[in-house]
Amino acid sequence: MAFSDMMSYNSMKQPLQDYQAPNQLHFNPYDFNGGTILAIAGEDYALIATDTRLSQGFSIHSHDNPKTYPLSSKTVLGCCGFHGDVLTLTKVISARLQIFEKDHNKQMPTSSVAAMLSTILYYRRFFPYYTHNLVAGLDDDGKGCVYSFDPVGSYEREVFRAKGSASSMLQPLLDNQIGGKNQQGYVAQPLPLERCVTLVKDVFTSAAERDIYTGDSVQISIITKDGIKNERFPLRRD
Amino acid sequence: MFLTRSEYDRGVNTFSPEGRLFQVEYAIEAIKLGSTAIGIQTSEGVVLAVEKRVTSPLIEAGSIEKIMEVDKHIACAMSGLIADSKTLIDRARVEAQNHWFTYNEKMNVESVTQAVSNLALQFGDDDPDPGAMSRPFGVALLFAGIDEKGPRLFHMDPSGTFLQYDGKAIGSGSEGAQQALQEAFHKSMTLKEACKTALTILKQVMEEKLNATNVEMCTVTPQNLFRMFTKDELEAIIKDI
Repeated sequence: MAFSDMMSYNSMKQPLQDYQAPNQLHFNPYDFNGGTILAIAGEDYALIATDTRLSQGFSIHSHDNPKTYPLSSKTVLGCCGFHGDVLTLTKVISARLQIFEKDHNKQMPTSSVAAMLSTILYYRRFFPYYTHNLVAGLDDDGKGCVYSFDPVGSYEREVFRAKGSASSMLQPLLDNQIGGKNQQGYVAQPLPLERCVTLVKDVFTSAAERDIYTGDSVQISIITKDGIKNERFPLRRD
Repeated sequence: MFLTRSEYDRGVNTFSPEGRLFQVEYAIEAIKLGSTAIGIQTSEGVVLAVEKRVTSPLIEAGSIEKIMEVDKHIACAMSGLIADSKTLIDRARVEAQNHWFTYNEKMNVESVTQAVSNLALQFGDDDPDPGAMSRPFGVALLFAGIDEKGPRLFHMDPSGTFLQYDGKAIGSGSEGAQQALQEAFHKSMTLKEACKTALTILKQVMEEKLNATNVEMCTVTPQNLFRMFTKDELEAIIKDI
């Protein structure tokens, strides 16, 4: 601005024209890549299911990205949320598992995997891994077990739990179908594996109808004393 | 022994041309000056018994502690420079608690022994990392405990070497005691028998007359885990010997 202009009457009428609000730069270290996981503990088996879609906003990165990670012959981890954190966390866990195996000459029991995951998550209390986690497997007595976690390490052993994108659709249905919630005269009885598998296919099919971050296919891992068996079932791909 | 003393005695981590580490060997010799400690492993549990040298009637015998609790399921008996053992026991306790904290399970006896053995080897005279010693530890340890593999007894010496034993004696009377253990031990030994055997052997190798104040004994069993014998319980066993 010329000096003469500044002195003119006109410029005096806009005294604040050089004022600017402070520039705020914001870095968001997280993203959300969708995905739903679900685990159910049976008498002598545990089941953990995941959809295979990996997305970001309205785009799909992959149709074939299951979010379950086998850790040993009797433990499987389900991990979804921000895929970058999922990659790092699963890498940290497998490294820790290998160190444990060498140090103590044994495979880490499922209960210890859960306890260790809780500490790993809590050590990042103030810059957490943005991951929803489930650990499914067999306990020391050979019974099915499921541990569910919040992103900062609070955990508990449960019979069934859904986590991730469509968890709020799956959980109430499981509460009703497995937990017997809101049913009159419900008698609790052990859940046979076959019924469990069909139930999982049904709930995932329903969730894929409503949730755009869940779809493509569902991978079901069944953990028994004989090892881990995987099964795929197609979901809608749009 | 003293005839072989040479310039290789200077640095604690210097090998002699014959491939020996003199300071480590001397540390092992130091154990042979210590009071006798015995450990026996049975299928029912493990027993540890130690001699306490009450060298003056003015000593408060109860203040001599040679058996310590590492965790609820692991005990440790020692012989040699007892002050050195404090650092090692401290490490054992920290490792055991840390394992429980992280993995929510009891640490195996072998793993605890391994962890302590790592510390025992961290000596050196230059630029020591904090907590490490400038010389080898002058103490031998017997770790007794219960874990998923059952009752376990481990012996660790100043070189950090550790081995599992059915029966092991350390300290000044260890030669005689080990011989006696070998004759007395059998696989079907009960814990009660083992306790009596341990005290009988201690009695044989001790210079002073064995009584309830100059021995310490503990058992580690699946039912009661670590349990120290009271004076009365000791007297009851000593009476039968």
